Amino acid sequence: MKLDPRTKLFLAAVANGMIFTAPLVYSLLMVAVASILLLLEGKWKFVCIFFFVYLSAGFFFGQVKNLDIGTSGTIILASLFLMYRIMPACVVLYYVVTTTKVNEFLACMSRMHISNKVTIPLIVMIRFFPTVYDEARAIGNAMRMRGIRLFSLRTLKSPVAFLEYRLVPLLVSITKIGDELSIAAVTRGLSAETKRTCVATIGFRWVDFVVCAYCIVVVVMFLLRN
Amino acid sequence: MAISRVVGSVFQNPRSQFFNIDTDCELAFGCENLGMNPEEIKQHVENVVQEFHLEHLLGRSIFNLSGGEKQKIACASVSATGPEIFVLDEPSANLDLKTITDLKEIVSRWKKAGKTVVIVEHRLYYLRDVADRICYVKDGQIAEEWMPAELEAKGAAYAACLGLRCMNLEQLCEGMVRQAHRHDDIASGEIDDIASDKNNVIASEAKQSIIFSNLTFSYHHKHPILDIDRLELPCGQITALIGHNGAGKSTLAQVLCGLLGSWRQKRAARKRGTYLIMQDVNHQLFTESVLDEVLLGMKPQDEKLALEILEGLNLKQYADNHPMALSGGQKQRVAIGSGISSGCDVVVFDEPTSGLDYRQMLAVSATLKKLAASGKTLLVITHDPEFILNSCQSVVRMEHGKVVEQYPLSGNENQLIKTMTGKL
Repeated sequence: MKLDPRTKLFLAAVANGMIFTAPLVYSLLMVAVASILLLLEGKWKFVCIFFFVYLSAGFFFGQVKNLDIGTSGTIILASLFLMYRIMPACVVLYYVVTTTKVNEFLACMSRMHISNKVTIPLIVMIRFFPTVYDEARAIGNAMRMRGIRLFSLRTLKSPVAFLEYRLVPLLVSITKIGDELSIAAVTRGLSAETKRTCVATIGFRWVDFVVCAYCIVVVVMFLLRN
Repeated sequence: MAISRVVGSVFQNPRSQFFNIDTDCELAFGCENLGMNPEEIKQHVENVVQEFHLEHLLGRSIFNLSGGEKQKIACASVSATGPEIFVLDEPSANLDLKTITDLKEIVSRWKKAGKTVVIVEHRLYYLRDVADRICYVKDGQIAEEWMPAELEAKGAAYAACLGLRCMNLEQLCEGMVRQAHRHDDIASGEIDDIASDKNNVIASEAKQSIIFSNLTFSYHHKHPILDIDRLELPCGQITALIGHNGAGKSTLAQVLCGLLGSWRQKRAARKRGTYLIMQDVNHQLFTESVLDEVLLGMKPQDEKLALEILEGLNLKQYADNHPMALSGGQKQRVAIGSGISSGCDVVVFDEPTSGLDYRQMLAVSATLKKLAASGKTLLVITHDPEFILNSCQSVVRMEHGKVVEQYPLSGNENQLIKTMTGKL
């Protein structure tokens, strides 16, 4: 099941619009289509974990909402609310980012006549996230060896120190990766002037039309309701 | 701007020279950027796949490749654009000796095709037959220039005093054997008592060893990445762990240190106390000063003891410095210090000498020997024969996630070099 990158971008845009303006039902409609697409990609593990976390956040939010529990309760409530509202956006973005190949994305951007000056920073950004994830995992490993874990007495006592240990090496390596990636971009000839070609074939197929139509229906429903 | 048309570069660290997530796209990427037409690109890619024997690497995710495989893809994707000049920055730093042989073949193929190749490198032996000129850079200037034969003729001592690695592995090995024999002669001829004492000591030491059991790991049940029932490491010695790229060495290290595997394996690792010094030590330095770094893992925190550890590693004067402001070798020693302070008996090193010149390699070797002498058991993952001959006492070889050989180093130097170069 391969979607055109443009369809994916449209999906992401509609999902974000719905999540931040419309009632919850509309973002759930977007979650539904994104999880079906993810299931078709074979990522059922991610979908299961997502629904588990999301539903339990929703459940607790419903429980806590009407209680009067002071400041700390408000913080918990706010974070649950954020999770409840933001997570649908995350699942859609996860689908877009993990299933789009870099060259397809570049090809579709040039199809849409978007300047390389916009595309190249975007590409570097997409490439940046998995690398940062890799680094963060290595740092997490190093911390576990020193007995610093997220769920431990020590972290509870000084959460700021935990964050510091986690972030300082990450920031150092991120700046390095950024440098290296931009050097690599130059040496691989990814410049703003030349016109790129692409071996990947991209184009709209019936799946794209189905997904786009679904998105449009959701938007129209939302607009008519107001 | 157009320089990428003429010059192709391959870097030491494959982490950031890839822009794509899968190998197929990566091979075509350079050509696409130059604006070749798709048919032409497909032809170019097919050609390099055949030339570099990459059939088995097609269609795979970049994140699942081993270091050597990544480096091959990097070379091939640069080659696909057909530049006139190739610039390689320490391409062999993360490669095993067999893959280095492949790299040598690639370089000589480029040379035959009339391309200009510039390689910045510490390992010289594989370029012995390929290179036409060796330039020695000092303080930003080309201080010396030789033909490879000239440099070799000057002898190993001359190269060592410039901080250069050896030119000839077989010679290196012979040299070591000769040295060992000389020691034996002296021992047997003049001081028999000490020799027999030494043997006794070795015998009794050999009895004491740490035994690891149930070292298995797999992502899928059908394809175990690691499958070792029993691994024995001699106490207080340095053991080298060798094997080809992708043989499961790093996985073994992570399972030993409790970073991978089932909770049972993790608990066993925690009880045992194993510490991993990563290849990129930047990952394991978190705090604001060297002293804090050593104190962090200590229970209870004892500043006096921490300073003692630092003194042992020649780091006392840097106790208040920020770890990130130190040099690479110093950072590595800080990481070792933090391992000692957390009370671990077994320390695993992941390629501590990759990308180091001869002098730096000797410094690392001295640190490790000192550590072993203080009673720690060391396991060193490495592709560096010079380092092994210099500092290790025994060798473990892995293949396809299994230990295939384990032997003491003395007397088996030739075998080591042969297996490492893939001639056996």
